[in-house]
Amino acid sequence: MSKGVLYDATKCIGCRACQVACKQWNELPAETTTNSGTYENPPRMSAYTFTKINFTELEHNGKFQWVFNKQQCMHCQEPGCAEACIVGALVKTEEGPVTYDEGKCIGCRYCMVACPFGIPNFEWDKPLPWIRKCTFCADRQGAGLKPACVTTCPTGALKFGNRDELIAEARRRIAEHPGTYVNHIYGENEVGGTSWLYLSPVPFEEIGFPTLPSAPVTINAERAMAAVPPVLVGVAAAMAGIYWLVQRQQKIGQKAGEEEKQKEKVK
Amino acid sequence: MTNHWIDIRNADCVLIIGSNAAENHPVSFKWVERAMEAGAKLIHVDPRFTRTSSKADIYAPLRSGTDIAFVGGMINYVLNDMEQNPQNYNMDYVKQYTNAALIVNPGFTFHEGLFGEVKDGKYSAEARETWKYADATTPATDPTLRNPSCVFQLLKKHFSRYDVDTVCNITGTPKDVYLEVCRTYTATGQKGKAGTLMYAMGATQHTYGTQNIRAYGILQLLLGNMGVAGGGINALRGTSNVQGSTDMCLLAHILPGYLAVPKEGDVSLEAYLNRARPATITPQGLAGDKSANWWGNYKNYIVSLLKAWYGNAATRANDFGFNYLPKCDPGVNYTHMSMFEAMGKGKIKGLWAWGQNPAAGGPNSNGEREALGNLDWLVSADIWLNETAEFWKRPGVNPADIKTEVFVLPMACSYEKEGSITNSGRWAQWRYKAVNPPGEAMADLEAMNLIMLKLKELYQADSMAPAREAVANLDWNYGAHITADAVAKEINGYDLTTGKLAASFGALKDDGTTSSGNWLYCNMYTEEAGNKAKKTDPVDAHPEQIGLYSNWAWCWPVNRRIIYNRASVDLNGKPFDSEHPVILNYTPDTKWQGDVPDGGWPPINQAKAGEKYLPFIMKPEGVARLWGYGLVEGPVPEVYEPWESPLDKNLMSHTKNNPCSFVGSFMNNRGTPERFPYVGTTYRCTEHWQTGIMTRNLPWLVELMPEMYVEMGEELAAEKGINNGDRVIVSSARGDIEAVAVVTKRFRPLNVAGKTIHQIGVIWHFGYSGMATGDSGNILTPHVGDANTAIPEYKTFLCNVRRV
Repeated sequence: MSKGVLYDATKCIGCRACQVACKQWNELPAETTTNSGTYENPPRMSAYTFTKINFTELEHNGKFQWVFNKQQCMHCQEPGCAEACIVGALVKTEEGPVTYDEGKCIGCRYCMVACPFGIPNFEWDKPLPWIRKCTFCADRQGAGLKPACVTTCPTGALKFGNRDELIAEARRRIAEHPGTYVNHIYGENEVGGTSWLYLSPVPFEEIGFPTLPSAPVTINAERAMAAVPPVLVGVAAAMAGIYWLVQRQQKIGQKAGEEEKQKEKVK
Repeated sequence: MTNHWIDIRNADCVLIIGSNAAENHPVSFKWVERAMEAGAKLIHVDPRFTRTSSKADIYAPLRSGTDIAFVGGMINYVLNDMEQNPQNYNMDYVKQYTNAALIVNPGFTFHEGLFGEVKDGKYSAEARETWKYADATTPATDPTLRNPSCVFQLLKKHFSRYDVDTVCNITGTPKDVYLEVCRTYTATGQKGKAGTLMYAMGATQHTYGTQNIRAYGILQLLLGNMGVAGGGINALRGTSNVQGSTDMCLLAHILPGYLAVPKEGDVSLEAYLNRARPATITPQGLAGDKSANWWGNYKNYIVSLLKAWYGNAATRANDFGFNYLPKCDPGVNYTHMSMFEAMGKGKIKGLWAWGQNPAAGGPNSNGEREALGNLDWLVSADIWLNETAEFWKRPGVNPADIKTEVFVLPMACSYEKEGSITNSGRWAQWRYKAVNPPGEAMADLEAMNLIMLKLKELYQADSMAPAREAVANLDWNYGAHITADAVAKEINGYDLTTGKLAASFGALKDDGTTSSGNWLYCNMYTEEAGNKAKKTDPVDAHPEQIGLYSNWAWCWPVNRRIIYNRASVDLNGKPFDSEHPVILNYTPDTKWQGDVPDGGWPPINQAKAGEKYLPFIMKPEGVARLWGYGLVEGPVPEVYEPWESPLDKNLMSHTKNNPCSFVGSFMNNRGTPERFPYVGTTYRCTEHWQTGIMTRNLPWLVELMPEMYVEMGEELAAEKGINNGDRVIVSSARGDIEAVAVVTKRFRPLNVAGKTIHQIGVIWHFGYSGMATGDSGNILTPHVGDANTAIPEYKTFLCNVRRV
């Protein structure tokens, strides 16, 4: 069964132990940061920061709220990055993680364009750069452990388990605490569903989640790919048609020109 | 804590005040969330909307320093409601287990904020007598609670001035929010319901901090929330082992086990006991007729302590070595600020800063750093170079001008040594050594052992050394390689006649046949069970599984997880809360089930006359003190303004400030609202630790919080032309700091006495030492403190802010 994580924003206290646990497990260096007037740091994810917590101050239903959310690769059920990758370096595994094999990667960065969440990051500063992103701790999962972030989360805002059970759990929480959550599980259906699922006390777009259709990103690729043969054939046919027309016009013109010359000669 | 961390999940309502629990105790906050999952409401009272507030059902803003008004108003609300609707409260608890019914000295007076005559910051002895019961040894009671001199009526009269409008005018809390807090929290007064009150430095670090806690205590007692599951007065300790430090009494006024430190007038052990040991008080007319007065066992504990320290050199003939102990001079305060004042005046020549960083952690950093310059020598024992060790080369000074010789002892960090840590819930948990410390770094225990062995040698050799025997005669027999195990056993104590470990403090004697380094910890290490701090059985064996986990680690006293738990049952021994009983099912043969009972005696109504033990055994009168005469500034809390206040007067009385606060004699420059119009406060953030020595040297944490910052509201920022992320100067009468402005909606201006009050806050984690540096928040804070403890008023002062 495909694994997932349920993030419950009403339980997250924004402590960022998850950010540090991820760095520690993946042996990632700390980035040099400054305080730009917020608790958020680093300002965005990168090849060295696979996850970060966002902090949003807002009013909702007349109540002031400070809502946190955890950003990382969503490990989509039908990942656009895997579809776009022309060498198959990105693969959605049965267990859940979308894995990345740098041995196959050619650095084309189509995955970065294809991802609706803007996740894959590039090692811009390296002469031999790879793509880097959250691995869903596939190595830890393989050893029967939970991802590092989930293991360290002090309140249990992160819950790891089978995706369908997490969806059931999310539905239970919404039903048992009406008014606490908006009635939506983000990631259940967006872009074909993601392994990472979210519950929020406020509308998702107000805390930075992109509003996405339920059609998987791959549909665009399929549509585009499916269109290729007819387009190819159609364009070839059209080009052939134009060529034939042009040739015919030229032939007609040539013939007319020759006839003119004949007429001239006879005079 | 009277309760413990896991017990928080049993609460029907959680009140977090003077604490930012989610920020600073993130792991323990999960128990608050468990309570909420089971339906509990979370109320958070704080000058600033924080990570804790983000999870709260009700967030109530208040002006920093107005807790007594806030909670006093809740007390007034309860007292009035109690008379109208006694069925909504546990009146049996209030009448039988607290001193509500006891009659107070009719000479008691209260006028314009004062409880009698004050002179030179002290109430007269005559005034203090009037705070006591009319009959000091066998006080009369009025179970109807109507006698105008009974505690209940005196409380009503005192807090009748704390009406909602007055309170909200002082605190700045919107009235509708305040009433919602009152209604929601006081619903826990219902029999069988419990409210837990969690607090920390936001409550204690004020010139009346102790009275803040008293107010919480009164509220919790009126609501029947003490001694029950999901209730309690729960201090969230500021570091992982400060509970251990205070239990071992690394404080100026107490000896291990919270015994009094001797004073000059204690010419003998007996004189000391006459002063320190309370006499039993027996209330007349309550169902309970016997007060255990557990502090009556004082002599057992002090003698056993002396035997632990002096061994065979402590005998009946020499008062068990009592006169080896140094005695405090009369009228001298030995706490942190007083010590630094003495240092500033050149009276203290040497300082040992052991795992402490006063140059960044003490108030008025500039003043304290300057004072350090008067030392001949300074030893800094720490795991990194900190601001104290480097005070002589701090920005702005010329090292050549400073004559202090500084020694740095590199210490092992927690994973590099073995020992115990006592958490906020009094649980002592063992810690193991995982790796060797680097280089020459040493475990504190080892370093201390080597130092003491050398000191003993020096004192032994010098026949003219002052108080020579006090050091030379110490029973210091750990050898060259001390172990935490040996010390743990010594702290537990021994039956010296058999050489076996003492079973519990009940076995400690006053005749020199037992020893114990800390009577509270007696029972932690026993012959049968070994070192109980090492126990890790994760089974909740309590009949109703209220989360005691009594076989995980060990807590004092004698592994009793919820103290005063005899107040959780009625006079017949039936638990008030059948779903979360603490002790239950008493029979004369099987005794009590559940938690270790706070006194194994039968329920009051089943006991013989003269043996009907009252539940609050640590009080001489056996009942809890709604009204108390043990603190220096009054028997009940009263509203005063902070030492630096934005108001020109106290709205509650003509006495503006706490008349007994520690004010000091210099280093205490005082600002005025004209120059410093905003209320400033200091606090912590999740990412950094204390003065930042452990965290500003760790790249992953510096990445999260790289710089010193100040938080302020959008309205104030707009007034001052400050944009989010701008560098600003925050100033107070003590000094200036530079910080990044974090402009936020989470600080809102408050309407106080018709004025708009802005509050701003700084973290105190930064300093000039280490990898990530910045200005210290404590440069701003005042060098004044609480009347009883002299804890500095870090939490509220006046300041100004401007763009760089």
